[in-house]
Amino acid sequence: MVQEHVSQREGSSGGLFLGAYGISKTYSDGTQALKRVDLEIRHGEIVGLLGENGAGKTTLTKILSGLLPPTEGRVESPRGSVRFANPREAMKFGIGMVHQHFALVGPFTATENVALSHERPFTPIRLGKTRERLEALMAESGLHVPLDVPIEKLAVGEQQRVEILKVMSRDVDLLILDEPTSVLTPLEVDELFDLLRRLRAQDKSIILITHKLKEVQSITDRIVVLRHGELVGDVRTAEATTERLARLMVGQALDSTADAVELRDEELPIRRGREDAGATGEVVLHVQNLVSRGNTGEIAVDGITFDVHAGEIFGIAGVEGNGQSELVECLTGLRVPTEGEATIKGTDILGKDPREIYRLGVAHIPEDRWEVGLVLPFTLAENAILGIHRRKQFRRAHLPIIQWSNVRKHVEELMERFEIQAAGTNSPAKSLSGGNQQKLIVGRELAKDPAVIVASQPTRGLDVASAKYIRDLLVDMRNRQRAVLLVSADLDEVLARCDRVAIMYEGKFMTVCRPADLDRETVGMLMGGVTSKEVCVEQP
Amino acid sequence: MSNRELSATTVKSAAKKALLGLSPAVESLVAAVVGLILGAIIMWISGFDPLAAYAALLKGGFASTYALATAGARAAPLLLTGLTFAICVRAGMFNIGAEGQLYMGALAAVTVAYFVLPPALHVIVGILFGMAAGALWSLIPVLLRVTRGVNEVISTIMFNWISHFLAFYLVARVLVDPLVSSRTIRVPITARFPILIRGTDLSYGIFAAVAFAIVVYILLWHTATGYEVRAAGFNPRAARYGGIKSKRTMVLAFVLGGMGAGLAGATMSMGTPPSYAVLGGLSQIANLGFNGMAVAMVGRNHPIGMLFSALLFGGLAAGARQMQMTAGVPTDMVRIVQGIIVIAMAVPELTRMFRIFRLRWPRILGRRAES
Amino acid sequence: MSWNSLVNILFIALHAMVPITLTAVGEVIGETAGLFNIGLEGILLLSAFTGVIGAEHAGPVVGLLVGMGTGALVGLIFSVISTYWKGSQMITGIGINLFAAGMVAYGLIVLGQPGFRLLASENRLTPIRTPAGGLSPIIIIAVIVPFIAYWFLKRTRAGLILKATGEAPEAADVAGINVNRVRLLATTVGGALAGLAGAYMSVSWIGSITKGLSAGRGFISLAVVVFSGLNPILALVGGFIYGIFQSLAIWIKNTPGITFLPWQVFDMLPYIVTLLVVSGVIGRVRFPKALGQPYKRE
Repeated sequence: MVQEHVSQREGSSGGLFLGAYGISKTYSDGTQALKRVDLEIRHGEIVGLLGENGAGKTTLTKILSGLLPPTEGRVESPRGSVRFANPREAMKFGIGMVHQHFALVGPFTATENVALSHERPFTPIRLGKTRERLEALMAESGLHVPLDVPIEKLAVGEQQRVEILKVMSRDVDLLILDEPTSVLTPLEVDELFDLLRRLRAQDKSIILITHKLKEVQSITDRIVVLRHGELVGDVRTAEATTERLARLMVGQALDSTADAVELRDEELPIRRGREDAGATGEVVLHVQNLVSRGNTGEIAVDGITFDVHAGEIFGIAGVEGNGQSELVECLTGLRVPTEGEATIKGTDILGKDPREIYRLGVAHIPEDRWEVGLVLPFTLAENAILGIHRRKQFRRAHLPIIQWSNVRKHVEELMERFEIQAAGTNSPAKSLSGGNQQKLIVGRELAKDPAVIVASQPTRGLDVASAKYIRDLLVDMRNRQRAVLLVSADLDEVLARCDRVAIMYEGKFMTVCRPADLDRETVGMLMGGVTSKEVCVEQP
Repeated sequence: MSNRELSATTVKSAAKKALLGLSPAVESLVAAVVGLILGAIIMWISGFDPLAAYAALLKGGFASTYALATAGARAAPLLLTGLTFAICVRAGMFNIGAEGQLYMGALAAVTVAYFVLPPALHVIVGILFGMAAGALWSLIPVLLRVTRGVNEVISTIMFNWISHFLAFYLVARVLVDPLVSSRTIRVPITARFPILIRGTDLSYGIFAAVAFAIVVYILLWHTATGYEVRAAGFNPRAARYGGIKSKRTMVLAFVLGGMGAGLAGATMSMGTPPSYAVLGGLSQIANLGFNGMAVAMVGRNHPIGMLFSALLFGGLAAGARQMQMTAGVPTDMVRIVQGIIVIAMAVPELTRMFRIFRLRWPRILGRRAES
Repeated sequence: MSWNSLVNILFIALHAMVPITLTAVGEVIGETAGLFNIGLEGILLLSAFTGVIGAEHAGPVVGLLVGMGTGALVGLIFSVISTYWKGSQMITGIGINLFAAGMVAYGLIVLGQPGFRLLASENRLTPIRTPAGGLSPIIIIAVIVPFIAYWFLKRTRAGLILKATGEAPEAADVAGINVNRVRLLATTVGGALAGLAGAYMSVSWIGSITKGLSAGRGFISLAVVVFSGLNPILALVGGFIYGIFQSLAIWIKNTPGITFLPWQVFDMLPYIVTLLVVSGVIGRVRFPKALGQPYKRE
């Protein structure tokens, strides 16, 4: 593994702001998140911190922003060595971090949230003054949010703006943003990037954590790549190609990373063969005018109609939070819609119990593998029968007693067939890595030999090998004439593997198309809610 | 590595693995030791001799057949009320109401005196009455929880107090013995648990308790319904995904737990010589429910572990009287020690109990991602 | 019912209100910060006991202070276990109750009078003399404290911090707040208030300590906290309502001629009412999101 460096640095005007050297971090459970990473930040530059999930990006920035102490290494500034005991000290130094999961208090308004990070404890709150400051800041930065609404009632994009304002109100010199665009539409991303450029012009420094190759190339001056906790690349953006970055990120040439633009030839026959129809098999899943509310009462699914045929992968793309989760929940018995119909091979499924739906031949790979897909304290064996635990094959003779030996056999088969790595069938599920946990879930669901597979964000947060493995499994199911509904926020995944794709925005399908008929720009617009006349409008 | 080194490391790693597997038991042991040490300190401050006290405790609880029999007799109801708590913990809830469910079970069992039946049947009917009463008394709190989201901790505690006064009333007015106003009518001979070891008060009730524990074990770990109860207890959302109705499992668990406490009450009124009745003031049956919770915790909420912890606490209760006679230490010292043990258990218990409160409120902000 | 009886009922109600209100306000503070202390019952009992001992040695005021100190100490232990040691709050609370019950019974025996100890009247807190009877000065404290607590929670930044630690401890941590320390303070203060409530019962109101003095008041306070929706002033109202009920129960028990219901029913009444309140109110109330969970930084 070769480190790639560039000797001189251009594009940043300023001198050194902060230098971190030899940073290592080992967590209390033994995982080594960072191994001797060096990072220098100069004034007036935007540095991209690139890497996959688990590479150590968030850990490194949490150390820089004072939330975590390093196990080894030192942080230095031109003024001398620095050590932050808590985020407050880092703030005083001029470092502020905008987290991926916003550090906001739900029932508080934007003003109250900002006030929380200021003043001293026993003073009466001066919300008025904080408000004035915020309004000035909003005018200056171009970010606007309602100031008096409890932020849990705001849209995710607005919440992020509050978070950014909160950090900026502390006069930061280094702004760290952790995956800021994962919850934004392309339009909002552009606005954010404009803001970042303005800050850079003011000689501020920015670290942008991302796993999106195109993004990091469009906005940064310099890209630092981490892999498995190690620094593997520190290159100037102008000199980096997508392929090189992808290679640094994953360490080997793969046919498709989560973000690669080029597709190898093996992928294409799948698409080419189906170009004629994309919908020749019988209709297995039929959805008509589905309307449903979300957890906070507002309409999440706003009249969706589509069919999924046997032998096709139907993809639903779109930024997370546009109703995809609620749609999936309606189809898998986890949510009751307000209107509409949905049938599997003619049998009504809305409002039914999950187990009834499973009996109709449905498999559901849920988007939240920890909170929904698995019971983490349970063993592998116990998790492997979740949803099918009442089946006769696991019962002892005619008694209502579970035959655990049958269950163990079943799990062992799953482990072999799906290459799940674990210490044993009796290890708790929480001891497995994310990839193996997901393989357990996928294996469990596919072993039901289903007619319909509903996969929601199935490769989110997985290492590249596991992600590819699972994608191949889905394609395999489709080749065996099953119907696959794939919901994913990973656009490349959807475009590469689906026969037909729907773009979901604010509860509606903006279009339903074959991927070949879409280009990324159009998709971006559709994801952002912009309709275009040239887009194909195939009848679902 | 030489052969000797190889075998040494394998032995070491095997020992480590065994210790890790036993670590819940080790944690309980440590908590017990902490309790005993702090209890000793309190005794010493009050002017007693802790060593003499503990020696008497051991003697009275474990050192003779009589002691062990008494310990067993004390352990039986504790095992049952402990199971009440443990079952509900496994289902994701806190049932503090074993105390009141036991009172109701004890009183319901006494009512078998009102009719005549052949011996074996009479006992069985008494058991059934007791279990039914306990189940009914636990039904309302759990229904309140599943329909209106009422915190079962508060509702079961309120029911404890309501049953406390209801029991007083029933003992003094309704079920009172016309000849001996300080207690209820006696359970007739045909309905009594026979004594197991002559000269002690260890009755066949201990078999009932152990049998119930075994049944609970089989139900929870070897049936599909028990699987559902445990799954929903750990993770209601995943359970729902798995087609499990957690409201149903919660009710089932509570009712089963109530049956355990009711059975405990029945073994008390049907199995305690010489009175075989419920005494006014409820002195014989008071605090059995609360102490059962300590038994459950130390037994890690598992029926097998609880067999041991019930015997331990039974021994402590049996030994307490000896401790008072020989060393002059009030029997309440045992409660002090129990309280300290429970507090000490609170710390490692976290990893089990943590999930219980976790998924109650919908998560609105943010989302989990690995990074 | 004569005017005299009415006043009498009111007076008893005011006295009965105090332990509930004080404990409930203390728990409101604690729960706002995210800690659920079910050991209030034990704190009440323990501090009633230590309050008596303190009063016997150095007078009523010292007794009250000793009681407060006991409550604060137990609250401190509870919060250390719950925050820094990441212990289960429920189990710790249950353990505190068990310990307190045993400790008080044991202590009474060791001090010579098993089960009951009377406090000599010169060691009791002098009541305020009014034309209609004596009122404990603590009643005034019990009325004022809720308002102070309300102002504190709503109008100071400390109150904002407290709410943040209960709602979103991660956000508070990032804002530089020491979550564990805030929770520690909150529960210690809550414990101190419960300690005052317990000592009040033995030193000021009833004038004696029995091993069952608390009689479930700790749990009733928890119900009042639910009723109040974490608003201290509503806790005052809830405490007063409870006081009226208890007072009525005492009056009915002592008035000849009302025999259609057994006395046990009236003793049951506070608990039945609590149950009804808790069943009827849930759904309107919103609790801090992080209530009952320890905070772990990453």
